[in-house]
Amino acid sequence: MKKIKMVALISLLLWVSSCKDFNELQTDPNRATKTHPGMLLTNIEVSAFNAISLNSALASRMMVYTDGASNEQYYGWQRSGFGGYGTLRQVAKMEEEANRLSLENYKTLALFFKSFLIIDITKVFGDVPYSESLKATSGTYAPVYDRQEDIYIKVLEGLKTANNNLDPSKGTITGDIIYNGDVTKWKKLINSLSLRILISLSSKPGNTKLNVISRFSEIVSNPGQYPIFTSNADNAALKFYDLTGNRYPYFNSNGLKTAYYLEQSFVNLLKDRKDPRLFAFANRRPQGSGLPDTDFNAYDGLDGSAPLADNTIRLLNGEASPIDSRYYNNPVNEASVALGYAEVEFTLAEAAARGWISDNPENHYKKGVLASMDFYGISVSNQSQYLLESKVAYDPANGIEMIITQKYINYFMNGGWESFYNNLRTGFPIFKVNGGGVLNNQQVPKRWMYPQDELQYNSENVRDAIQRQYPDGDGINGVMWLLKTE
Amino acid sequence: MRKKTTELIYEAKILIRMSVLALLVLVEFAARSQQMAISGVVKESGNSLSGVSIYEKGTPNGTATDSDGKFNLVVSSPSSILVFSFIGYKTQELNVSNRSVLEVTMEEDATSLSEVVVTALGVQKETKSLGYAVQKVEGKAMTKAREPNIINSLTGRVAGLEIRNQTDLFQNPGIRLRGAAPLIVIDGVPSVDADIWKINADDIESYNVLKGATASALYGSIGRNGVIMITTKRGSDQKTTVEVNSSTMFQPSFIRIPTVQTTYGNGNNGQYAYVDGSGSGLEGGGWVWGPKLDQLDPSTPSGYWETTQFNSPIDPTTGKLIPIPFLSRGKDNVKNFFRTGAISTNNISVSGGSSNSNFRVSVSNSYQKGIVPNSQLNNTSFSVSGGYKLAKGLKTDASLTYNRQYTDNFPDVGYGPPNYLYNLILWTGPDIDVRDLKDYWVKGQEGVQQRHYNKSWYNNPYFQAYESLHGYYKDNIFGQLKLDYTILPGLDLTVRTGINEYGLNQSWKEPKSYVGYNNVSKGNFSLSNTSQLNLNTDFLARYSKALSKNFTIRVSAGGANRWQTYRSQSLSTDGLVIPQLYTVSNSQNPVRGSNTLQEEKVNSLYGTLDVEFLGGLFLGVTGRKDWVSTLPVKNNSFFYPSVSVAGVISDFVNLSSYRISFLKLRGSWSRVSDGRVGSYSYSQVQAYNTGVNWNNNPSLSFPSTLLNQDIRPETSDTYEVGTDIRFLDGKLGLDVALYQIRDFDNITSVPISSSSGYNSRLENGGAFLRKGLEITLTGTPIKTEVFSWNITANWSRYNRFLQSVYDGSNKLGYIKTGTRTDQIYGFAYQHTPGGQLLLNSNGFPIDDPYTRKLGYSNANFIFGLHNTFSYKNLTLNISFDGRVGGLMYSATNQKMWWGGTHPGTVNQYRDDANRGLATYVARGVTVVEGAVQYDEEGNILSDTRVYAPNTTPVNYISWNINTSNAFLNHYYDQTFVKLREITLSCNLPKQWLAKSFISKASVSLVGRNLAVWTKMPNVDPDPGADNLQTPSTRNMGFNVNFIF
Repeated sequence: MKKIKMVALISLLLWVSSCKDFNELQTDPNRATKTHPGMLLTNIEVSAFNAISLNSALASRMMVYTDGASNEQYYGWQRSGFGGYGTLRQVAKMEEEANRLSLENYKTLALFFKSFLIIDITKVFGDVPYSESLKATSGTYAPVYDRQEDIYIKVLEGLKTANNNLDPSKGTITGDIIYNGDVTKWKKLINSLSLRILISLSSKPGNTKLNVISRFSEIVSNPGQYPIFTSNADNAALKFYDLTGNRYPYFNSNGLKTAYYLEQSFVNLLKDRKDPRLFAFANRRPQGSGLPDTDFNAYDGLDGSAPLADNTIRLLNGEASPIDSRYYNNPVNEASVALGYAEVEFTLAEAAARGWISDNPENHYKKGVLASMDFYGISVSNQSQYLLESKVAYDPANGIEMIITQKYINYFMNGGWESFYNNLRTGFPIFKVNGGGVLNNQQVPKRWMYPQDELQYNSENVRDAIQRQYPDGDGINGVMWLLKTE
Repeated sequence: MRKKTTELIYEAKILIRMSVLALLVLVEFAARSQQMAISGVVKESGNSLSGVSIYEKGTPNGTATDSDGKFNLVVSSPSSILVFSFIGYKTQELNVSNRSVLEVTMEEDATSLSEVVVTALGVQKETKSLGYAVQKVEGKAMTKAREPNIINSLTGRVAGLEIRNQTDLFQNPGIRLRGAAPLIVIDGVPSVDADIWKINADDIESYNVLKGATASALYGSIGRNGVIMITTKRGSDQKTTVEVNSSTMFQPSFIRIPTVQTTYGNGNNGQYAYVDGSGSGLEGGGWVWGPKLDQLDPSTPSGYWETTQFNSPIDPTTGKLIPIPFLSRGKDNVKNFFRTGAISTNNISVSGGSSNSNFRVSVSNSYQKGIVPNSQLNNTSFSVSGGYKLAKGLKTDASLTYNRQYTDNFPDVGYGPPNYLYNLILWTGPDIDVRDLKDYWVKGQEGVQQRHYNKSWYNNPYFQAYESLHGYYKDNIFGQLKLDYTILPGLDLTVRTGINEYGLNQSWKEPKSYVGYNNVSKGNFSLSNTSQLNLNTDFLARYSKALSKNFTIRVSAGGANRWQTYRSQSLSTDGLVIPQLYTVSNSQNPVRGSNTLQEEKVNSLYGTLDVEFLGGLFLGVTGRKDWVSTLPVKNNSFFYPSVSVAGVISDFVNLSSYRISFLKLRGSWSRVSDGRVGSYSYSQVQAYNTGVNWNNNPSLSFPSTLLNQDIRPETSDTYEVGTDIRFLDGKLGLDVALYQIRDFDNITSVPISSSSGYNSRLENGGAFLRKGLEITLTGTPIKTEVFSWNITANWSRYNRFLQSVYDGSNKLGYIKTGTRTDQIYGFAYQHTPGGQLLLNSNGFPIDDPYTRKLGYSNANFIFGLHNTFSYKNLTLNISFDGRVGGLMYSATNQKMWWGGTHPGTVNQYRDDANRGLATYVARGVTVVEGAVQYDEEGNILSDTRVYAPNTTPVNYISWNINTSNAFLNHYYDQTFVKLREITLSCNLPKQWLAKSFISKASVSLVGRNLAVWTKMPNVDPDPGADNLQTPSTRNMGFNVNFIF
């Protein structure tokens, strides 16, 4: 008996077993399975409104890269990616949580972000999945591609709906780091985006499905129902903070500090106009280090179309202005403006110049220039002096070129790829390609090839899309619907 | 032969009948008048031997010894003859002769060449009886020439086990058994934390590598990829002994170190002048494409070309830097910076016991001095183990080890500014003498700004070594408590609880001005605490019955529970207020933190049946059922069966005419499932991840994989056949294992179009085949009274193939069905179908828009070769091992071409480029007309291209900066042979020790990692990867061992 007791006792001691059952262990204590849509909005805004792209600055002849031959700078790029759909997944989840909690305004914001993001994607490739996209949860793993034209129509309708649905009485918007829940400002952004999209369709005044001109004037002529941006305070601007993960994207960037320099044609464009924004964009070149900061002669750039070795030699000669050191030294620097008031004024100016609206283009042009200069903190006296410069004072004969050129300057290290897309649409300003280093038969490409993943995982649909759009195959010089005049 | 077979069948029938009768007969025997109760113990060289069959001759009456080697049997008469048999030992017959207590000592049977191995759940079995491959390595083979961890020591010793030794201090080697990471089990307790540093080699009796899933099926899913069973030492009931083992090894030289050019210095396009250390402008962006060094220039005071440098004196009147000669002062930077590393390992153990108990205590310390200044690793273990007989038939055994791994600093690895090689070789031109950097603070900015020639991109290596510190303090406790109870003769019960627990505290001190990628630190301090508790409780009841001389069955049934808790917390500052004050409260911005809790459990029930027939035929059956917490409850349980057979043909057929002394054939099948989606305990739960926190607004983001609540466990079927043949009385042995593992129902992250909203979805499906062949050859070419030469060679190959895809299609990603899964696909430049490099109009190569197959990563085969020569008191061990075939990417080589430090860049083109001339015309062609069309996979559909030789010269520096030398894709053949180990040991002659208290002593000269033969340039291919690896050191030293 003694032995049995001992065995029982020790066995009991040994039998150290868990007490949680299997159902309890199906709950993850570290992660949430449901949430308020406001928790998703913050994340969406941070990725959607980050509009700072050095690659765009290279492709738009604003900057030059000297640590290698950049495919953006030399127009030798090939494929781009579908990363934008990752943000769209977050938008779809926000919509799902908004439906679950019946929060109407978040549903409307989801519609806005879908529109905003899909336009960014379609401009890269042409046709892309939209109507069947984001439906993996219901079994659609390889969505069909929507025609670009259909996407644009859907987006324009969607934005109109969004403007009409957004309503302060339908609940507050939290988690909003852009407008802090200000519904009026959201409406302004929605309509300003509509204007951006409509002006990007400037080659399609004859398309009766789109009716770009009447849509444009409908918004502009009815500011009560369709408010638009009226000052820089309305900008869709993502502010940076001196906190881990919240800093300016190129803060502390060694590359920006040592391997990116201003492009010569861009510097000349500013010098020709005595544009004081140059002093906000660039530092003096080493050869000009003896000159005052505000002396235009202290600045120069490298030729974005010249071979790399030519540029590095000029760089080592001290001929190149680096970007202003605030871009890598100041953790807050300036906000990322995804869509700003200045752009809206330039859009209005262009619409007026094209006769889409009966308004004076010069007024809007000037307002745009001043808004851009305000953003860079240029003094009022310098601003008024600038407007008098011969190449700045509005000349209706060259109206579109002047407007687009000023719009282009406004996009320095901001606005994503808008500077490049505006050039594709209007040809302004001319991007230099004849310096000897440019690939692609010295042409500026018109698009990017589809991601190879699509060829792997959605091959039938992408093949159809390529065949119906690009007779020469999926190349970077293919002309998408958006760029075709009709 | 035919006659013999019929006899066998006949005998078998008899045996079955007899065994059925046995129980009935037993009762009768018990009632007989002359019967006599006998008890006794069976031993083998002093240790008790369990599982020995005992039967009364001429009767079916029998029993087996218990775990203490004890037996009780009632025999029919005082003059009965008892037969003691155990495989591997000579069968003995003993007349009871009226004795009621017997002590029997079994003698090893040299001709049967058998050995005992430890199999799943810690059950000892004879190799001969196994239907699957188990390879045993004696622990004592690894205690002389030391490695910092026990796994490195296994390199090349086990067929099918591939160990990829790291050259970096305190980094885990790659461990792959038949292509996958095996489970580590210590004294029968699974150690899922897989910490290979916590086990001290001096405490290890033996390693038993259970290679296939059949061998390890009883461990369930965690044993799916085989097991390395570690058995620790126990005291014996002999006299108390004290053992001292001490090894000291140094790392005086390198077997592999990158060779860099010493002709050109820092800068770009042949120009360089230090301005302020920002790296921009004249400082050349951090490249090593600067001016030629040591160039005579009669116009300067020194007679050499001069430029401003980081250590230039400052002109007191102008305040400007004074140019100094640009000389190759840094030719020996590597030797000057790295120091001689060392590993010193000391162990003292005391063991002993009595007839009722045994004990062993051991204390070890291993100190490794890293080759990087101020880096080290300490590893200390205390372990105790012991056994005690609590009562008759009741025995307990326990062991407990406390292990502490601690270092105040060990180097960071991987490509980037935290890597020493990055700062020392790759991006420091030979114009810099590293010794000039010893003074590593800028004067007046101590604690705030490091002093370096380039403060944007690189770290001063001394600053790094003494200021950027990664501390690691880990406490491990592991052990087990086991109770063996012999309930009845032949019926044993074992209950065991094992514990593996650790607490790990890490800290990272990042000084102000420390350079990371796109980050010049504001100073930071991070802390992380993780802890894990793993409890394994199991019981096993075993019944063993020798039904007759020729028929023994063993059955067992048991169950287990595994419970695991993991906790982690981390805290980081966002900038430091006071420099060099490393506390979280010294943070400039709010402290950031995170924590997790993970819990999981597995419940299991299992059973086994082993049948031994005629002493030479064996059948083993196992079954296990698991319930796991890491799958949705509806699919959380699964069953694993296994069957194995083994037959010792040579026991039944005389093969001596073929000089075969032993021939065994074996075969097995098993099915093992695994029920988890990812390593995280709740990977099966679809939930939000933490998103960005923007200006103190938290957010969430949804992951990109779509989970599936219908997910089922994935399963592997393993088929294995093998043979064990010994020739020439065991002088030559051959063991061959051939296996095929079919992994099916795999839990697969199936890539989908990301426009669907997700990048992948989770599915069960697809199948892979893992196939391999393992051969072990053992031989004794020479054996005389004074001299012997033993040789062990092993060879193995392994490949994994895609058999089918979840959706019935013919490819998974880039891999097509029927082809190997270790194909490397990656970026390539365009080539003509004939293989010539295609160049653009600008003379540069053209990116291929399609990802291309570059080769295979697995070795064609791996091998090891061990020789032991013994002459009188001297023993010499020489081991080689290596891998043949397989590609590996070398970041070191790529970056050397890219950055300008590769010796291959020293040529006329570079001199031309330094003068601003573009003279390098790459070998290759350009397209003059025509076009090419590809299908979706990049195969050519039509090709009308016409080529002409490239004639466009490019700047050689631009060429390398852009392409890292486009003729190399920097995947290199990793084939190598290593001289892994030499140990020369001398056992001091007994007569020397006769008058001392020392009973045994040996002195050895030892060396490991002594030489490598490979075509791989600049780096050691042994780690199987090169992400800027530490140079590979040669380890040499001595060992002394005393036993008192």
